[in-house]
Amino acid sequence: MPPAVRPQARRITALLGSVALVLAAAGCGGGAGSGSVSGRVTSLTALDYYTDASEHAQWSERLTACGRTAGVRIEHRSVPGASLVPRVLRQASSRTLPDLLMLDNPDVQQIARTGALTPLDRYGVDTGGFTKSILAAGTYHGKVYGLAPTVSTIALFYNKDMLAEAGVGVPRTWDELKAAAARLTRPGRYGMAVDANATFEGTWQFLPFLWSNGGDERKLDTPQAAQALRLWVDLVGSGSMSKSVLNWTQADVHDQFVAGRTAMMLNGPWRISAMERTRNLHWGVAPIPVRAPGQTLVTPLGGEVWTVPRSSSEARRQKAARVLACLTDSTHMLATAKQYFTVPSRTAVASRYTEQVPTMRAFVRSVERARARTAELGVRWPRAATGIYTAVQAALTGERTPEEALRRAQQSTTGP
Amino acid sequence: MRNEGRWEPVARWLFVTPAVGYLLLFFGLPVAENVVMSLRDYTATTFYTGDAPFVGPRNYFETLSSDQFPQALLTTVVFIVGSLAGQFTLGLALALFFARAFPLGGVLRSLLLLPWLLPMVVSATTWRWMLDTDTGVVNHALRALHLVPSGVPWLTDTSGALTSVILVNIWVGIPFNTVILHGGLRDIPTQLYEAAELDGAGPLTTFRHITWPLLRPVAGVVLLLGAIYTVRVLDIILVMTGGGPADATQTLATRAYDLSFQQFEFGRGAALGNVLVLVSLVFAVVHLRAGRRALHG
Amino acid sequence: MAEGRTARRAPARGRLSTIAGIVLLALMLFPVYWMVNASLQPAGGVLRGDWFPRHPDLSGYATALRDQGRALVTSLVVALGSAVLSLVLAAPAAYALALLPLRGGAPVMFGVLVSQTVPGIVVANALYGAYSDLGLLNSYGGLILADSTAGVPFAIIVLRAAMASIPREVIEAARVDGAGQLRVFASIVLPVSRNALITSGLFAFLFAWSDFLFALTLNTTETVRPITLGLYDYVGAHSNQWNAIMATAVLAAVPAAALLVAAQRHVTAGITDGALD
Repeated sequence: MPPAVRPQARRITALLGSVALVLAAAGCGGGAGSGSVSGRVTSLTALDYYTDASEHAQWSERLTACGRTAGVRIEHRSVPGASLVPRVLRQASSRTLPDLLMLDNPDVQQIARTGALTPLDRYGVDTGGFTKSILAAGTYHGKVYGLAPTVSTIALFYNKDMLAEAGVGVPRTWDELKAAAARLTRPGRYGMAVDANATFEGTWQFLPFLWSNGGDERKLDTPQAAQALRLWVDLVGSGSMSKSVLNWTQADVHDQFVAGRTAMMLNGPWRISAMERTRNLHWGVAPIPVRAPGQTLVTPLGGEVWTVPRSSSEARRQKAARVLACLTDSTHMLATAKQYFTVPSRTAVASRYTEQVPTMRAFVRSVERARARTAELGVRWPRAATGIYTAVQAALTGERTPEEALRRAQQSTTGP
Repeated sequence: MRNEGRWEPVARWLFVTPAVGYLLLFFGLPVAENVVMSLRDYTATTFYTGDAPFVGPRNYFETLSSDQFPQALLTTVVFIVGSLAGQFTLGLALALFFARAFPLGGVLRSLLLLPWLLPMVVSATTWRWMLDTDTGVVNHALRALHLVPSGVPWLTDTSGALTSVILVNIWVGIPFNTVILHGGLRDIPTQLYEAAELDGAGPLTTFRHITWPLLRPVAGVVLLLGAIYTVRVLDIILVMTGGGPADATQTLATRAYDLSFQQFEFGRGAALGNVLVLVSLVFAVVHLRAGRRALHG
Repeated sequence: MAEGRTARRAPARGRLSTIAGIVLLALMLFPVYWMVNASLQPAGGVLRGDWFPRHPDLSGYATALRDQGRALVTSLVVALGSAVLSLVLAAPAAYALALLPLRGGAPVMFGVLVSQTVPGIVVANALYGAYSDLGLLNSYGGLILADSTAGVPFAIIVLRAAMASIPREVIEAARVDGAGQLRVFASIVLPVSRNALITSGLFAFLFAWSDFLFALTLNTTETVRPITLGLYDYVGAHSNQWNAIMATAVLAAVPAAALLVAAQRHVTAGITDGALD
């Protein structure tokens, strides 16, 4: 019943020898949820942001399989990432929420606060053994509202051929990054690419630089934060990074990379399967550079959680909870992790994972130190996140200096 | 039914009632409802709980005193003025060009209408792709012609993005201006031009003393309608720039959309919407008074 | 069509003007060409297309039809519905406003004109709450009603102008023969106003087909998703499949182009009448 892990995926996993990312996983055993089921619910709706064609198909497959265990058919829809939360809010207001909803982990508390989600304890879903940080991100007022099958973070991906040809080593510090990016830049090709979009995705990509340098979302107008922002400004200013980063999503950044239009990029491991399908692309992955040697890299905890919204009927919610329990049971967790090169969010499964796929050990370790975006601010995170991407945009367009941009971001974050 | 009976006036009104009812429901009521909404505090939970407390004019204070308001207002003004200037000048030039009779003139003029008829989302999507800094055809052509060394940052620069959305709005509006102004030109009596030619007037003098004075009423209507259409433009901006980068293309209309439908602050969105209504109303009054009076003598 | 005043230019200059006209048109319509050209490029991560579709590839259209076929049908239903609704509401009103001695007709006309200046976002803002309460979100009826906010005032203006030019004697004669208002309207006024009906119906169709704002704000699910919204989401979701995106854009542009070619005269008349009445 669970979708078999493709042999190809195992092979690809083996390629990940040099992976060294930064995040954390801890926890214990998993188990499927029970669920008292009644009524004659035959189909459920599910909403997520996996719009990429192959990713969408893979999730459809997984949802179908889990739907079968609960005896329902699943209508699976995906919308672009940036439009998911506004759409969910509108669906909440018009009582047209889906039965199963995927949310990016920092959005859960905000949505839970509106009353659109139901706590999972009433369905008897097993919430034990999860990595503390991801469980905390899915918890609001002491109740668990969302569970993630797997977690991940972002890293520096680079084109091995391009680095070799330019005689450039993998950068470890910001200065090395700037120098490498400049030397890798050619006509029709940039040295580096990030997502500096005016969305939460842009914020997410900036966080490793902000946090590793000692910056803090509670106080954005610090020299540490300004240094981080200055790095991005310098990369664009020197022409090593396209100004189009202002408009790129992570998917666009990936497209640029596989098309050979950028030599390095910031992205997540879930892109690996697509990169592997690209012929003649020899890529490597490394930790995101830090400003000074010896600084500890801190990256944001990534991972999408599944929730059971307050949909039309209790019977539907019960069914949905059973599907959710299936998605987050150890079998599916493991399968999902292998498919996307992410890390199972139950610690026991994660350690079994590293036994089965030793090359992922570095990945699992890397997730250990990852910080949840809502850890400090909770429901106030979206406001800080908006402030951060606004500051990034203002600084990269040259509208304001990094210091001025961050000062304003701090004002708007703490203002009315 | 036949002769003027007691029922006659009622019967007449029955013809108008459905349309009037519709207009009241879909224009009158929303405008009134927006005033009410602007005095309440809506949040993401409001529509779930139905709880939107009365807060008086707070939404107006907050919206109008925020950092973004003066910027959005300025952007709106630049967007309108830039669009109108471009649409009108180019539209008038094309109208003058097509005023001359030449083979295929009529067909060519009709085909010119296409940009105006296309859904704005379609035009904006196409332009967004054409204006891409690194891969767009516009920069490709500019580089090939050695006009710019590296390419213009059309959508990735604050002034570039505003210029881009104005250019596209001009492109969309040119056909409308051309058609109306062309009609206006055709209504100018031929004898006036013949007389001018006999007096030995050059094309510039003829334009200044005959064409322009007689075209002015039509020109006024075109500009006012253009302003009314432009003030509400949302599609082009949302599709091309999403209001960015760094809010450089955020107008009053896109801000109102953003507040209501992205941030779920319907109260503040309504407050900004009412500012928009006021702006439109000024145009409308000018349009209905001066414009039409001049046109119909 | 009789062309302008200076019909006595030398033929050589006329031909020169034709050439200049073609060049101008080519410049203006280049984006449309580029859209079609891009839609015919092969699939894949090719970010910059060739200047010509040397090897036309229809896979973009196949993908577009597969992903957006339903949205096209939805748009067709909504646009047709809106055209019909606009005419049904506007034609009787225009008749009364143009030809019947109507007390209070002037304020109604004033209202029609002012309604055209109300920004769509203001209407959407208020309609969202009302639709939510009435269960009209995500419904064909709701979207058709909202989309007609462009068509109804426009049709009233165009139809009233056309009907006002019907000679009063024709109507009087029919009345003397004992025909009621309804008879006069249905068997005399409507047939005579055929052109204006086509024009305003056509525009109401195009307005609804092009609508983006109401589609974006009054839908929260996939139930009623017209092509404009489909294209918008498509760009957000599949930024690397430009051939499919551009094929969708071409498909969304087809009605406008087709109507322009097939009903040129009505289109020009519609723009002028709508603006200058």
